[in-house]
Amino acid sequence: MAGSVEDIRSDAPSQGVFYHPAGYRLLLGILAALLFLGILVAACVGIVPIPLRAMAGIFLPGHSLTGDQQLILFSIRLPRILAAVMAGSTLSVAGLLFQGLFRNPLADPYVIGSSGGAVLGASFGIFLFPQLSMAGFGATAFLGVAGAICSITLVYMLASVNGRTPVVALLLAGFAVSTMLSYCSYFLEIMDHDFGTGLRVLTSWLRGTIAQPTWPQLAVMAAMLLVGLGASFPLTRRLNTLALGEEYAAHLGLHVQQTRIAVIIVGSLLTAVAVALGGLISFVGLIVPHMMRMILGPDHVRLLPATALAGGIFLLVADTVARSIIAPSELPVGVLTAFIGGPFFLYLLRQAKREVFA
Amino acid sequence: MSALLRFNHLGFGYPHRTIFTDLDATISKAACIALVGPNGSGKTTLLRLAAGTLKPDHGEVCLRGESIDTLSHRNIARSIALVPQNVEVSFPFTVQQFVEQGRTPYLKMFGGMSGADRDAVEHAMVLTDTIAFRNRVFNQLSGGERQRVKIALGLAQQPSLLLLDEPTQHLDIGRQLELVDLIKRLHRHGIAILASMHELTLIEDTFSSVWLLDPDEEMLQGTPSEMLRPELLGRVFDCPPHSGPVLLKPRSKHPERVRV
Repeated sequence: MAGSVEDIRSDAPSQGVFYHPAGYRLLLGILAALLFLGILVAACVGIVPIPLRAMAGIFLPGHSLTGDQQLILFSIRLPRILAAVMAGSTLSVAGLLFQGLFRNPLADPYVIGSSGGAVLGASFGIFLFPQLSMAGFGATAFLGVAGAICSITLVYMLASVNGRTPVVALLLAGFAVSTMLSYCSYFLEIMDHDFGTGLRVLTSWLRGTIAQPTWPQLAVMAAMLLVGLGASFPLTRRLNTLALGEEYAAHLGLHVQQTRIAVIIVGSLLTAVAVALGGLISFVGLIVPHMMRMILGPDHVRLLPATALAGGIFLLVADTVARSIIAPSELPVGVLTAFIGGPFFLYLLRQAKREVFA
Repeated sequence: MSALLRFNHLGFGYPHRTIFTDLDATISKAACIALVGPNGSGKTTLLRLAAGTLKPDHGEVCLRGESIDTLSHRNIARSIALVPQNVEVSFPFTVQQFVEQGRTPYLKMFGGMSGADRDAVEHAMVLTDTIAFRNRVFNQLSGGERQRVKIALGLAQQPSLLLLDEPTQHLDIGRQLELVDLIKRLHRHGIAILASMHELTLIEDTFSSVWLLDPDEEMLQGTPSEMLRPELLGRVFDCPPHSGPVLLKPRSKHPERVRV
């Protein structure tokens, strides 16, 4: 039988402490605790600091927030925090889904142009149908999802060769499509006759700034997030099967085409949520699933909850840093993630070099 | 001998190239068949037709009397497991996670693996002797290990018929014998086998019959000693008979024909 030396060698990334079910639950617990802690800390940080002790007044009698603090916390800081958490979570899960779909760890909603499609779709909504609106979103949200679906379908058709997407083809197709989409958005900007709101929204989207949503808007986004996460769950097991290749997966009874369409729709829905809340934020959907994969291994079923939590933490931390390092000015968080994510992306590309230059 | 799978007047061709015109063949429940033929003669095509991943141009493939066309992939995959030649897995899945994919045809729409599913995976890994490296990454296995793990995935489907596409390809002689032993063991467990083989020397002791794909004529069927004759192989493979040890080896039980 196989040599014992061979058996000892264990390069599986899934061999760590978090591999077994108890360890996995522990990891989810840690991530949830970190997210809660992150929200608390982020709520304290800002131009007007709110001490942690005062925050306890929300839950406990004996401490209380001043009127100003309450106003800042509930109408500015918390909506911003929740927007960052939700944008990070949706981007990361969309990245995870797209990586499974493309069978390629370099797929990211920004890199493959799905974020750009959502921006363009939503811009159409803002500039051409501004009166159609529901809870502040309406046509914009719908067109955002539609834009993301169209762009990713286009990239998929351009980049896939027999159900595989070679790195080069994916990157080139994604680059071309997202460049066209960004400049289309600029074109819309020029066409805009009603200077003001639309332009401001578009500019912040293109830079990747976390928005300052109202509570009803947040509720709509949260509902879309939950629908997206819920719909992702049955897809994760299918992405594991799809990793064996299209033909083999079909032989095993997987409905390949249905699975693909479902992944595109759900991933686009999640991308649209992220874009509505934070615009074009690059590389989050790349970094977070990759880190989780290093800890948990490639099983998409286990990755989904961990990625959703870690994505929220990641973007919350990034946004809190972005809005406080040069206070009172603010750095768009998209700038920060590009600074962190760009080198990381190049590192991953280098890892895939053999495939790229083969 | 009841028929498990039947090819009924099967015709299939690719654009500009006909592979089968009128193929008739039966795989019984206790069959152990080697599929032999030159490159491009349609071995893989035949396996795909048998698994229902390719549709014939005319004629039909019947599984236990039912046309395979009327069955879903899910249904077929519970009876027929196809082990492909090359599998590229896009992420570093472990051997166990890989083998678990064999349970796909049994999982419910929204469900995960049940106890019965886990037992089937465990059993498949025990049968193929792959349990020792269940936690290793599939993509990092050696050729022989990888072949056994692929077969384990097929066995996790709990099939009645196992289709193997060149299971001994790229294996050293020791691993080839190991694999042939595994095929014998699976056959003893009551699984019918159809395997495409290039290593003609391994056939006689393992398989009970041979299907010989002749590029110019319809497929020939017979026992190994009927099919693996140097003259016949020389014609089918388009090389001089007795030109190499491989063409002589199958007749080694009849030493008078062996030339030194």
